[in-house]
Amino acid sequence: MKSLKWMTIALLILVLAACGGGASSNAGQNTEGQDTAATGEETEATGGNLRVALAATPKTLDPIAYTAVYESNVMKSIFDTLVQYNDDLSEIQPALATEWEVSDDLKTYTFTLRDDVSFQPGEFQDGRPMTAEDVKYSLERSSKESAMNRLRNVESVEVIGDNQVAVHMTEPYSALLAVLTDMGNAIVPKEEVEGHGDAFGQNPVGTGPFAFSDWAKDDFIKVTASETYWGDKPNLDGVEWSFISDGNMRANALRAGDIDVATEIAGQARALVQTDDKLKFLSTPGLSIEYLAFNMTEGPTSDLKVRQAMQMATNVEDIVKGAYQFGGATPARLPLPEASWGYDEAAAGKIPGYDVDAAKALLAETDYADGFSTELYVIEKRVPHATVFQTQMKENLNIDVEIKTLEWGTFSDTVSKGQAPLYIMGWSWYPDPEFFLYQMLHSNQIGALGNGGGYSNPEVDSLLTRATSETADQGERAELYKQALNIISEDLPHIDMTQVEITVGTTTKVNDYKVSPDGSITIVGNGTNVSLSE
Amino acid sequence: MLQYTVRRVLDLLPTLFVVAVIVFLVTRLIPGDPASVMLGPQATVEDIEQMRITLGLDQPILQQFISYIGDLLTGNLGTSIYYKEPVTALILERFPNTIVLSVCALFIALIVGIPAGIISATRQRSWLDYSVMVVSLLGVSMPVFWLGVMLVLFFSVQLGWFPSTGMGSMEDGLWSYVSHLILPSVTLATIPMATFARITRSAMLEVVSQDYIKTARAKGLKERYVIGKHAFKNALTPLLTVMGMQISLMLGGAVLTETIFSWPGMGRLVVDAIDKRDFMVVQGTVMFIAIIFVVINLIVDLLYKVVNPKVNYSSRKGGE
Repeated sequence: MKSLKWMTIALLILVLAACGGGASSNAGQNTEGQDTAATGEETEATGGNLRVALAATPKTLDPIAYTAVYESNVMKSIFDTLVQYNDDLSEIQPALATEWEVSDDLKTYTFTLRDDVSFQPGEFQDGRPMTAEDVKYSLERSSKESAMNRLRNVESVEVIGDNQVAVHMTEPYSALLAVLTDMGNAIVPKEEVEGHGDAFGQNPVGTGPFAFSDWAKDDFIKVTASETYWGDKPNLDGVEWSFISDGNMRANALRAGDIDVATEIAGQARALVQTDDKLKFLSTPGLSIEYLAFNMTEGPTSDLKVRQAMQMATNVEDIVKGAYQFGGATPARLPLPEASWGYDEAAAGKIPGYDVDAAKALLAETDYADGFSTELYVIEKRVPHATVFQTQMKENLNIDVEIKTLEWGTFSDTVSKGQAPLYIMGWSWYPDPEFFLYQMLHSNQIGALGNGGGYSNPEVDSLLTRATSETADQGERAELYKQALNIISEDLPHIDMTQVEITVGTTTKVNDYKVSPDGSITIVGNGTNVSLSE
Repeated sequence: MLQYTVRRVLDLLPTLFVVAVIVFLVTRLIPGDPASVMLGPQATVEDIEQMRITLGLDQPILQQFISYIGDLLTGNLGTSIYYKEPVTALILERFPNTIVLSVCALFIALIVGIPAGIISATRQRSWLDYSVMVVSLLGVSMPVFWLGVMLVLFFSVQLGWFPSTGMGSMEDGLWSYVSHLILPSVTLATIPMATFARITRSAMLEVVSQDYIKTARAKGLKERYVIGKHAFKNALTPLLTVMGMQISLMLGGAVLTETIFSWPGMGRLVVDAIDKRDFMVVQGTVMFIAIIFVVINLIVDLLYKVVNPKVNYSSRKGGE
């Protein structure tokens, strides 16, 4: 009995000693790595595994079932789409399709496919070449079954040759290419999808640069470089995607060297990453805006002069500073983010600037010269925006704004029914202006969440419809959107407030990592090939 | 003993029913419509309505409750709205990770807390006693979240000794696995460790002053035997009660700890589920924890008998 006790104690000491030893050798490795990183020497890529931390846990990697951007980021390493956006999202480039032709009536899109593409080997096929049939299968599947309605207006997909497919639309729709860049419309092999059934989302197989290898629930997803990838050979051996929901912990994990890339660095964590010379802080204005929408159909804000006065009495800079104390946002001026190719400086210039005296004078010309009371609907995280706005309205125009904080479900219900006199919301989507301007400002969208203010201008409606039904040329479409934006900036249906940045922290070992305005992550492809220095 | 065991088990049923009712109601009171939360801002009103029908949220609340209780009786915790998988499967997938973390934490709490309490009691009013008490007071009052972040800042960021997040895998070697476990289990162990130290101390002090200890000492027994064998054994009963409670509380603490350290256990599942308004998962997990809670208390009650045969079960009936 006695000897057993002493043996146990001895064992414990041994274990602790072993732990201690392991710890110090581990620490040694760390310093070594940091030294190289600090000197910033460009050493050759060594393969290795890139460890990327996302802010939330993916639930499925099935294109038709995914619902959130962190899922599409993992999917992007495994799957390919027919077409893709270039780096700055200014134009659409070939991916699995080498070229495409649009019929004059804008109702048929014919794609020519690459002929050197194979799927990654899976359980139900051994890495066979991708065919036109796969494209037909994948797009029709998305069009019929996508949970998020990611492929709309498609009537049928026709195989017209070994490497040609035609997508037939129910109506002229020149935003189709933008829609096809969505991971929801990625090309999948039929055998794997049907073989796995509902479990395909846990066992994804595609044509991308990395093959899915391992998924520990709530912990990590591992992908390894695909031997048969049609594009540039990946510099990395693989990528390990992990999930750290707390923003400060993501920054800490990055500083501790547990991960190489941390997405969504916001608030205090920005300063932590920015001031650490062993880390790189990358950011770009995001493809999203936050705006205050006026009720255009009733109440004081249905009067243009009231809206103009309120716009002039709003100091957007102060709202940005108040809501983003640690930085991470820039003022917005149009209902379209600057990162979109349809953005127009001239229209932005028409928005009245901050001028309290002019605002007072203008309000005096209306029925509300002494101010009025109104309600502003927001969800919890936009209360700071609302509070600054409330103060400015009271001080500058004697308008009493009551802030109503609702949770998302009730908020979207109230807003889509047009019951909010004022509301603040965020919007983000593809770089194609269709997904901002049509969704938020076309009168067809009254009753949906987009146009909750009830904005309706037949001229704008006509321009927005023409922009997707008359031409597929981006230059011509941009021209139509610019005309629409110019009218919109005179009508002032919104006070546009902020453009939120997309931010990422990486260690200095990570090379060629680019931040995209839409928050998507490209590890390999499209001119990017991320590598790790020794 | 058997009769008592059966009766205690039957006693649990009303408790569990009340828990089921409360859990059901509370999850319905969390504001937010799961359908619109799931579909996001670009969903149309029709999409949301369709989703509500698919999820059965259009049914009257009483009907939802009846089918929920019916499922519970057959051991079915329902299907997750978000993952579209049985909640039981989701829990069982992650529960082992929570168990590993809790067992490690309990181990740390016991091997540090109890000896600290004994030392404190045997050297009453010494500087050692005061230090243990001050440290344990700090331990009890330390917010778990703050402590976790501090440990990470010091041991991961500054010293680089232990990884800050995630769970290591045995494939990468034993050290990878153990090193990932250390910070979260120390975090989780802090409160029970401090509690054990305080309870052990006061239980020991009470026992040590009693006559049979004096007798044992008078007989010339070595102090080690007096404390280790006679005194500690009798101090074990109150300690056992507290231990049972601490183990149950630990499952609650695991929710926070797992969130800080991105530990893929049941706690993270719950936090994610609350974010996503996946109340099938929330109520399933809370039910699951409640069941464990009452089972642990049952075991503790039964263990009294083993540790201290003098406990008289029939006397518990006296007041009825």
